[in-house]
Amino acid sequence: MRKPSVSDETLNRILKYLGILLLGFGVILLAIQFSDFWSWILNAIKAVIIPLSLAYIGALILYPLIKYLEKKGIGPRGFSLGLVFILAVGLIFSAFYFFTPLIIEEIKNFFADDFPVIVDYINNDLREEFILGTDIYDRIYNYISETNVIADTVDQFVPNLIKAVSSALLPILTSVAILPILLIFYLNDYEVINERLRAIVPKKHEKNAAELGSRLNKTVGAYLRGQLLLMIVLGAVATIVYKIIGLKYYFLFGFLVGVTNIIPYFGLIIAAVPPIIYTFIATSGPGPLLVLLVNVVLQFFEGNIFQPLIMSHQLSIHPIVIIISILFFGSLFGPLGVIFASPIAASIRVIYQFFRDLRKEIEQNKLNEAKGS
Amino acid sequence: MIKSNRPRIYSKYEINCIVFLYTMVLFVPLILVFTYVFNIEYTFDLNILLLALLAIDVFITLIGVIFLRIKRDTLKRNVKINYQNEFYYLVIISVFGLLGFIVLYQYFFGITEYIPSIFVLLLVIFVYTLIKLGQKYFNLRYQRKI
Repeated sequence: MRKPSVSDETLNRILKYLGILLLGFGVILLAIQFSDFWSWILNAIKAVIIPLSLAYIGALILYPLIKYLEKKGIGPRGFSLGLVFILAVGLIFSAFYFFTPLIIEEIKNFFADDFPVIVDYINNDLREEFILGTDIYDRIYNYISETNVIADTVDQFVPNLIKAVSSALLPILTSVAILPILLIFYLNDYEVINERLRAIVPKKHEKNAAELGSRLNKTVGAYLRGQLLLMIVLGAVATIVYKIIGLKYYFLFGFLVGVTNIIPYFGLIIAAVPPIIYTFIATSGPGPLLVLLVNVVLQFFEGNIFQPLIMSHQLSIHPIVIIISILFFGSLFGPLGVIFASPIAASIRVIYQFFRDLRKEIEQNKLNEAKGS
Repeated sequence: MIKSNRPRIYSKYEINCIVFLYTMVLFVPLILVFTYVFNIEYTFDLNILLLALLAIDVFITLIGVIFLRIKRDTLKRNVKINYQNEFYYLVIISVFGLLGFIVLYQYFFGITEYIPSIFVLLLVIFVYTLIKLGQKYFNLRYQRKI
């Protein structure tokens, strides 16, 4: 008799997955019918999940410091937590206190000194220096003035921006207000909370869940701490180098390098655009080529020295995976998705590795049992 | 039998000595590079600032050396396979130290045309020093993927 090409076991499995898929689609279809109800529920979940996630991230960054202090005999938990908390809050406040006036001063100076020059350049000199020729410039200019495209876009954009900012302002303020309290309680009972969370998992999977949780905490924590350090180091280096080459708004542009570095690979490219454009228009200071060269060197140092050193090889994720995750999570969650794409990718990598190790372990155990019998 | 080509593992005492003295060598440029960003040179007299920094540097070095001598026996008993984190610290302060030396040059000579040449020269010196230190004392294998 001919052996069937698909075994009963495989067929059963396929049918099971198909059933789950079908049921999933059914649930989604049903959920769509009650979209108002779901958006109400989702908003409530969002209001909780944002401060909770921020507290979790904060805890991942601060917890090793608390542990370190406790290891050195500085305790009990309340005391070490207080020390770390005061240090963190002090650092954040002093950064705001020292850097905000400098950045605001540079923005003010830009609008007072350079902005009129830029507007004047666009109105008078750009036509003569337009790279595609004066004919195409005139056509674009006529199109803009006839269709009112800029005014219309601004008219649409500004109210939308105000609406978005005002709707996001309250959740942001609530999160900022709740975050320190949440963080204190979470860090104070870090082990207890983790233990309780572990207790939810069925006994059969408890060991694996604990292992996965610990790996995730370790990897994502290391990634976040590394990223923060990378942002500070690169921001500082860029600021110093910009000042050495004589770029006027070095603080603002250096700060931009630090902040945008939260987005791997694209961050430095995004941060390089404003100073290069500025040097094209500015009458004094370094030329665009020098700024471009500085940014290329920075990118080289970031990719080849800082990133491997600070993030360490254990956390290295393939650039293609990071770029794909930035595109995917960016389109899914917007700017927040772009910022958190790398830690999410790191988490997925840890989960994947964990299950691969688990499968290997199971296979090894089976092999050992077979050998034993 | 112990292989003769096996790398010697240094104790925490030697490593701490290297890290501490390296930091102290770069202390003045390190401070200077940050004061440069905040335009401190317009607030203080540069020569006085440099002298004060040098005095502080010597003072901290003396205290540090005494402290290291006191802790010598305890530190000698601590050994690690490699000193990756300590080496990373050296690399990061080297980057700022390098920029600090350029700032120092700018303060004293002010000729900006030679800055790229000085930068390349200092970069080569720093990279060479770090590679040699990493290989000999920090037990780093650059070719091996960690």
